[in-house]
Amino acid sequence: MSIHASISDLVDDRPGDQAFHVARRAFTDPLILDLELSHIFESAWSFVGLTTQIPKPHDYITTFIGRQPILLMRDGQGHVGCFLNTCRHRATIVCPFKRGRQKFHVCRYHGWAYDSAGKNTIVTEMDDGQYPPSFKDADRNLLRVARFENYRGLLFASLSADVPPLSDYLGDAKAFIDLVADQSPVGELEFVPGEITYTFDANWKLQFENGLDYYHFNSTHASYVDILNQRAKSGTSGPLPQEAPDETEGQGSFSFDHGHAVNWSIKRQSRYGRPLVTDPAYLAELKVRVGETRIKWMLRQRNLTIFPNLQIIDISSAQLRTWRPLAVDKTEMTSHCLAPVGESAEARRVRIRNYEDFFNPSGLATSDDNVMYEFCQTGYEARAGNTFGHLRGLANGPISSSGHAQELGISPVESAFGKPAFGGETNFHPGYREWRRLLQRHVDGGADA
Amino acid sequence: MLERMSPDLAQRKQAAVTILFLEARYLDDKEWDSWAELYEPDAEYWAPSWLDEYDTADDPNTQVSFIYHDSRSQLQERISRIQSRKSITALPLPRTLHMISNITTSEEEDGLVVARSNWTTHIFDPRVQKQYLHFGTYEHVLKPSDGRLRIARKKIIIMNDRIPSILDFYSI
Repeated sequence: MSIHASISDLVDDRPGDQAFHVARRAFTDPLILDLELSHIFESAWSFVGLTTQIPKPHDYITTFIGRQPILLMRDGQGHVGCFLNTCRHRATIVCPFKRGRQKFHVCRYHGWAYDSAGKNTIVTEMDDGQYPPSFKDADRNLLRVARFENYRGLLFASLSADVPPLSDYLGDAKAFIDLVADQSPVGELEFVPGEITYTFDANWKLQFENGLDYYHFNSTHASYVDILNQRAKSGTSGPLPQEAPDETEGQGSFSFDHGHAVNWSIKRQSRYGRPLVTDPAYLAELKVRVGETRIKWMLRQRNLTIFPNLQIIDISSAQLRTWRPLAVDKTEMTSHCLAPVGESAEARRVRIRNYEDFFNPSGLATSDDNVMYEFCQTGYEARAGNTFGHLRGLANGPISSSGHAQELGISPVESAFGKPAFGGETNFHPGYREWRRLLQRHVDGGADA
Repeated sequence: MLERMSPDLAQRKQAAVTILFLEARYLDDKEWDSWAELYEPDAEYWAPSWLDEYDTADDPNTQVSFIYHDSRSQLQERISRIQSRKSITALPLPRTLHMISNITTSEEEDGLVVARSNWTTHIFDPRVQKQYLHFGTYEHVLKPSDGRLRIARKKIIIMNDRIPSILDFYSI
């Protein structure tokens, strides 16, 4: 079987037959992970940080795109650059720290130095080095990533030049970034200090799916639901947002090009408080600024996935999480509490408490998810044919006339909406279609196969 | 120079050591209710995150923590989640072994005793047949109450903060 046929077979996507299956092997085969790293993670747009993480000249942070080390720096003129974190001399990591502020980064191995614009300023003992002329004329600056763009302070980089402009890539998913950013009086987002890193022993696509999976909530998080109910009964939940009586309760999703999707729900009364609701005066002011419709959506649960590895969850708090695969069955997660710049101290306190309550391996909900991924990973090893894991919502086909999309002014490729227990799975499909397209493109192009 | 202690201080220091070891024993024996009873009703239980390679968060209201609770009832919520048998994280529960050492105590005003110690928790998770450990430092603030000491505040620094899958009150 050719590699091409093999990738094609991994996603069985037949809308006409109302069929959609992802092969178990997509979660367990290390050869597939190698292809994913090269042709998805290291070839597509990747979230690398927020501008507000490096607000001042010479501020820097380090991260990874796939396997590759990345250094983001703000130079002396205030421009942000994104570079491969590797010395041009002998490949050493130029900056070994997570974050800080430095005018120069000096490689500790042989002392080569780079300024905060990535320019090579020192080659130690260059004159005595008997270098060939070709070296003296060479560009020895830090290597820039192929593409680097910013949307609302969210910085994205691509190691391949063959990507659409960021704005086109994000498409109407941008409306859901706006719904978080516009909660800020100055329209900016920041991370609450304190990054949490954790791992789970399972394939990264389990996290990709889970962020779009409304269906699991009541079963996987049954113990958390009990706690929420108990808090509501004892009156310790704080104020809970409510929907207007003319809103139909339900659960839905929008799917976009390039694999992005968002799932959301309309509940008569939310189970959680919201930082915005703790500050009625600001909420009223915001309503004037952004309008009734967008306030309504700001207060609804929205789980946004930007393919392949960014999720922004705006519920009782806001979480921004990214991941990178370490192995076919091991994933590293990075989680931040995301916040509108300029919110009140009390809203911030509530945001942080709610974030800790829900998210991270130490939270009361995410820890359940992590264990579930590991059970799935073990189960996917069964040579047992396709699962029925991607079928909810297929009977309806894409609904294009949803009033929900219209009121937001967006044109998703699919709008799904159902009863509160709907939990559609068709919002995973665009991600798998993009996944297959990127892997197939590589095979079709006959690149370094 | 050896520390000179009054018999009273020596007694309180011994009481502090006893409560630290008792807490570890309750956690490892899964006697959660007795564990929670070691805490004052308005106790602060705090495991801060790390801000960078060197510093942990120092303000729970403006920075993220792994866990921050400001009452015993929030610890009891965590216990109820484990006991409900509805959380998959507890099916089965990992086996844990807490080791505490290098205890130093100092006395504050109002009879509060501050105990600093080093801790290690060895964890074996039968669910995945994996073992790992967490380690760090504790700072207990102990308050005399009804003729015994109770925990008024506990700060837990987790040195190895890249967390495998789950972190709960029994694993730190």
